[in-house]
Amino acid sequence: MTLDWSIVWLNKEALAEGALMTIVLTVLTMSLAVPLGIVLAFMRLSKWRSLALLSQCFVELFRNIPLILIVYWSFYVIPILIPVQFSAFTTGLVALVLCVSAYNAETFRAGINSVRHGQTNAGLALGMSQLQVMKEIILPQAARRVLPILATTWVSLFKDTSLVSVIAVGELSHVALQIRSQSFRVLEMLTAMAVIYWMMGYPQAKLSDWVRKKFEVKE
Amino acid sequence: MTEPSPLRRAATQRPLLEYKHVCKTFGAFTALDDISINIYPGEVVCFIGPSGSGKSTLLRGTNGLDPFDGGEVFFDGQILPRKQSEVRKVRQRMGMVFQNFELFPHKTALQNVAIGPITVLNKDRVEAEQQAMALLAKVGLADKADNYPVNLSGGQQQRVAIARALAMQPEVLLFDEPTSALDPETIGEVLSVMKALADEGRTMVIVTHEMSFARRVADWVIVFERGKVLEEGPPEQIFEAPKVERTKEFLSHLGWA
Repeated sequence: MTLDWSIVWLNKEALAEGALMTIVLTVLTMSLAVPLGIVLAFMRLSKWRSLALLSQCFVELFRNIPLILIVYWSFYVIPILIPVQFSAFTTGLVALVLCVSAYNAETFRAGINSVRHGQTNAGLALGMSQLQVMKEIILPQAARRVLPILATTWVSLFKDTSLVSVIAVGELSHVALQIRSQSFRVLEMLTAMAVIYWMMGYPQAKLSDWVRKKFEVKE
Repeated sequence: MTEPSPLRRAATQRPLLEYKHVCKTFGAFTALDDISINIYPGEVVCFIGPSGSGKSTLLRGTNGLDPFDGGEVFFDGQILPRKQSEVRKVRQRMGMVFQNFELFPHKTALQNVAIGPITVLNKDRVEAEQQAMALLAKVGLADKADNYPVNLSGGQQQRVAIARALAMQPEVLLFDEPTSALDPETIGEVLSVMKALADEGRTMVIVTHEMSFARRVADWVIVFERGKVLEEGPPEQIFEAPKVERTKEFLSHLGWA
């Protein structure tokens, strides 16, 4: 079996574009899924039961279905539900946001709940309002606990963006797999794909480790 | 310096805190059963009694953190409101010190002390931090101003917590077992700060198991058992000549002959 690695170099521009798309998808997904996750977490913690239930249903639905299924579902079902034609990119983005915001909601909720109740009492005893306690006491402490988990979610998300290739979003996996099927250079393209993902993913994983160490809560 | 409590029963003055028929239950457990007591301005009052006798519950209800089920509390002649937004105003005038310190771990000692005046009283940051520094000096911790709680000993953390309560210039200080979570060697430093505050004539309500401290510092001692007041009186009476047999038993159980 002869290997022809030149196929990778010949397609470097397409691969670079695919890699860029992977990054764009990751950044966009996270920048939407963080605020959405916060909203869902507050809904879940709210004293209005209907809001809490709504948030719980959302979270339990989307975190217990495989992401690839959500991607397919978004691709085939959204156009039936709403009469608007989304691009494959938007559809993929929606699927990723639905899934990741469900995870983030749980992360934020756990972060807020992990702060001891005595801390709330200490703030209230000083005469703070519930809102001031949340802003000054609970959220800053919760954020330190949440950041390392968000960093881990980020690294997973970066890799999971590859799943939207099934609806032909032009990210790295889709581009590489296209080249593979046109050139039949299976081994070369899959290896190239692995190397590119690793080169982009490794620094992120290291950064995530650093975040975990840096923001470790000591009490 | 305020004279201790011989004034108390002669009292023409109004109590600072007045509990009237206060009740509290947790499920089937009666934590407080029709408690009516008074605390006068300038007094140091110690609540003593076995664990689960209701003394901490009474303290936590005083500033509405854990509201009572029945009865009323009057603070400075005003009934303690039930609404969260209104009880807030009252809490600002009561300082509270917790058994587990409950310092804010993401803030330095100085920031812990300054946060109340800055957030609640909208004080200027520089001014609040100057005041906080003075209070840290008062509790002997000026050199620890920039330390985070994790880098302080238990006794130091509790002294910062006392400074934090003082920063709001409260009219009464509520201490909920302030030395129970401390190592024996750091208990003394916290008690001597509390003694100094008592000598300033501050009104203090202290839930404590430190009998010798109560004997030495209190103006008035209230003994609780099973959610009821067993006996109350000046420390000489409670510790030397208790009128109730159960008080005698409780004290001798603690090795207080």
